Amino acid sequence: MNSTKHFNILIIGAGPAGIGAAVALSKRGIKSIAIIERSDKVGGIPSFYKKKKGGVRTFIRWSRGGIPVFGEDYAQWLEKQLLKTKVQIELQTQVLNIDAKKKILTLVSPKEGEVNYSADAIVMACGSREETLAERGWLGGSRPVRVFFTKQLLCLLDGNHLLPMNNPLIIGSDLIGYAAAAKLKAAGASNAVIVDNRSGPKCGFFERLYFRLWSNPKYQGLSIKSIEITGNKTASGVKLNGKNIPCDGIVICGELIPNSELALNGNIKVELHSRKPVVAEDYQLSEPGWFAAGNMLGGFHGAEWCYFNGRRVARGVVNYLSQT
Amino acid sequence: MSCPGKLFYNWSDKDFDESLKFIDTEQLGNDPYDVTIIGAGVVGCALAYKLSLHKLRVLLLDKNYDVGEATSKGNSAIIHTGFDAAVGTLESELVTKASRGWPELAKKLKIPYEECGALLIAINDEQNSHLDNVYEKALKNGVTDVQLLSAEQALELEPQITKNVLRGILIPRESIADPFSTSIAFAEVALTNGVNILLGTEIIGVENANDKIKTLVTGCGKRIDTEIIINVAGLGSRKLADLYEGESFDINPRRGQFLIFDKYSRSAINRILLPIPTANTKGVLVIPTIFGNLIAGPTAEDFTINDNAVADTTVEQLQALLNGASKLYPGLYEQPVISTFSGVRCNCSQGSYWIRCNDGHQGIITVSGIRSTGFTSSPALAEYLISELHEKLGLNLEANPEAIDSRSESSWPGWWKRPYSNNELVKEFPEYGRVVCYCEQISHGEIIQQLDSPLKPRTLDALKRRTRAQMGRCQGFDCMVNVAEIVSNHCNIPLNKITKRGPGSEIISTNTLQY
Ligand SMILES: Cc1cc2nc3c(=O)[nH]c(=O)nc-3n(C[C@H](O)[C@H](O)[C@H](O)COP(=O)(O)OP(=O)(O)OC[C@H]3O[C@@H](n4cnc5c(N)ncnc54)[C@H](O)[C@@H]3O)c2cc1C
Ligand SMILES: Cc1cc2nc3c(=O)[nH]c(=O)nc-3n(C[C@H](O)[C@H](O)[C@H](O)COP(=O)(O)OP(=O)(O)OC[C@H]3O[C@@H](n4cnc5c(N)ncnc54)[C@H](O)[C@@H]3O)c2cc1C
Repeated sequence: MNSTKHFNILIIGAGPAGIGAAVALSKRGIKSIAIIERSDKVGGIPSFYKKKKGGVRTFIRWSRGGIPVFGEDYAQWLEKQLLKTKVQIELQTQVLNIDAKKKILTLVSPKEGEVNYSADAIVMACGSREETLAERGWLGGSRPVRVFFTKQLLCLLDGNHLLPMNNPLIIGSDLIGYAAAAKLKAAGASNAVIVDNRSGPKCGFFERLYFRLWSNPKYQGLSIKSIEITGNKTASGVKLNGKNIPCDGIVICGELIPNSELALNGNIKVELHSRKPVVAEDYQLSEPGWFAAGNMLGGFHGAEWCYFNGRRVARGVVNYLSQT
Repeated sequence: MSCPGKLFYNWSDKDFDESLKFIDTEQLGNDPYDVTIIGAGVVGCALAYKLSLHKLRVLLLDKNYDVGEATSKGNSAIIHTGFDAAVGTLESELVTKASRGWPELAKKLKIPYEECGALLIAINDEQNSHLDNVYEKALKNGVTDVQLLSAEQALELEPQITKNVLRGILIPRESIADPFSTSIAFAEVALTNGVNILLGTEIIGVENANDKIKTLVTGCGKRIDTEIIINVAGLGSRKLADLYEGESFDINPRRGQFLIFDKYSRSAINRILLPIPTANTKGVLVIPTIFGNLIAGPTAEDFTINDNAVADTTVEQLQALLNGASKLYPGLYEQPVISTFSGVRCNCSQGSYWIRCNDGHQGIITVSGIRSTGFTSSPALAEYLISELHEKLGLNLEANPEAIDSRSESSWPGWWKRPYSNNELVKEFPEYGRVVCYCEQISHGEIIQQLDSPLKPRTLDALKRRTRAQMGRCQGFDCMVNVAEIVSNHCNIPLNKITKRGPGSEIISTNTLQY
């Protein structure tokens, strides 16, 4: 392994939160900053929601009067902000593990192989993912193909122009689920059935009203204790309360869970079940010099909230640096 | 080196690799096979491996689109010492024998293996009263390195187990291994030594069973000639035996469900935790896996042979399972579950290891009821079957001097060796530094390497078992489509034709449009 490269600040993740932090830190005059991103582009989740004629705009810009935009447009705006700075951008670079005490990251990339970077302070902006079937705890049955997470649906629908199903069934009823139903309908599928184990949908009334521009999904929730996925080779439906709801594909949506495994494995305090890192004042984590921003904090936050949150976290980082 | 065998898939799609397509029986050669093995589970693969060390024409076939894709992929992955086997049975003999050979076998075949040991614990008076019997039984089974432990000793070894422990038994050689690599390794070496392998091919008929040369009829209507038929078709062995008028027997599939816990949990427990076994099952265990997770299971639920739900998981049973396993390690409630799976035991009413030579006709062997120990015993069972083939079916055994019995150093799975840590390798092949599966930290290079490996895996599930991509905590949220794209690009299969488990399981519904 090569020797360790040192930076003032390292940011893990170039989604809205990481970019917000990078932009703010660089504006405050901090010189050596690197942002580390494992995918091949910056922008995080929004970059997967491509711009399409007649497509669904799912990212709301409150700072611009609440206009909805395509994720791709927002990601491009973020990228532009980032490129105005001198922040070093490392793409296709995954942080493998951390040494919290020494503030060292071990990372790997095709360019450099495995290397160590160290920093005076580190911002974790690793984002979140959707809970698996098992994590949700109320979904059983068979293991057919065509049971997707939203991100997979995006990669097929927006990334590859492939509509994977005609009669979708969506499990999970927050904004992501309603947005998925709208996107599927806009792409030519029929109105989805949305299923959740709660009496009403999680997605707010006005957001649902907005997605009605594209689709009118049917919601099923009341008194569901558990459901079973059916289908031998491909998904053919779900059984709930003895009734079968047919479909030819399932999307598992929402219920975000923070990507906090780096922190956890590095002995930074994380609540095990929610996987939320324990944060103190200024978004500091349990080890000094470590901070978290954006959806990594837990819960569901829109992209712009994450961007501004990243900027706020930067303030805390500057405070910390001025004290040490 | 001997002439390597041929590999074919019964995969007719126009976009599938021509050189791997099974189109015509002539591809398999004109002479009848000496031995055809029906079922490429761990037992069939082990048998192919051992037979390939002899000068024989052997065919291994399976209806699935990978080896080891049935019961052999859904088990506890323990290499049992056989300490609790029924004394004096063939099962006990084969398990204890195989268990001693495993460390050597794992090294030769590059199968990740760890001698983690097991701790059997009694947590109430009734269980405590059985403990001495279990200990005596272990000694009778020749497992003499077991140790009786007091509660304090048990807690010292495993501080996280229940404080209700009364006494325990340490079984030092009880081990864990990678069940997926095992079937694959056996089959790869067999292929290298000249065994032909045919996947996606179900046997639905046997003709001329009474003749010296018998004919197998495949689901796709082809005919394959062979002198000897070995039915190691697991849950399918019953239906298959009917095709050649084998002696009647019954299979009562017994499902076992498991919970998989995230890797954070693995540091809490070092050894396999066992309850006191009952007559019916070994009970619910807590098991470290070779991959670095903990699993809890299995349940024991009986089904009828034609019930399609047999491989499902159920919310209720899994909750009960968690409650059961927590009796051994109460901290399990805290641990995040990332996934669940189930496996189905081939439970034969006539008894375990139900083996019939010249079954129905001369030259046919039926092997069934390899219920709960087949992963461990497979190498010894294969040797036993070969001696039966020689003695009872008159098969001529001549060693093949050119055969190899091991895999090369580069066959170690990537997740075990971490090629991205090898900077020289990454410099030469940067793809080993490009992480695709973030959770299990699996690189693009490892996926390509597996696509080019001898058995030419072409389905997402087959790749999953080899690379561990999609097997981590996010269950493919981040990498599933990326992996599919890599297969698509590398093998020239359009993305919409990529499958989970072979034809009929395409990730994209065929009647949807590009949009
Ligand atoms: C499937 C899904 C759909 C969503 N849809 C919407 C929507 O339609 N509208 C909306 O407003 N919000 C949506 N959200 C919420 C969305 O996540 C936020 O709006 C925003 O993207 C969060 O920003 P972030 O920077 O915190 O995380 P992310 O955007 O997730 O960015 C995190 C970045 O960190 C990188 N990273 C993580 N770990 C590492 C590591 N170890 N090494 C290197 N890089 C790493 C990731 O590759 C990623 O690029 C969705 C979220 C998800 C998960
Ligand atoms: C829950 C559970 C836990 C277990 N735990 C352990 C353990 O810890 N340690 C251990 O040693 N063992 C364990 N076992 C047992 C072990 O998994 C089995 O004994 C072993 O996998 C059996 O292998 P097999 O090759 O006989 O069967 P299988 O793996 O079922 O293979 C049979 C093959 O035959 C094929 N087939 C069937 N019919 C046809 C046909 N007509 N034409 C073509 N192909 C056909 C099938 O597709 C299948 O691939 C466990 C089993 C279960 C279910």
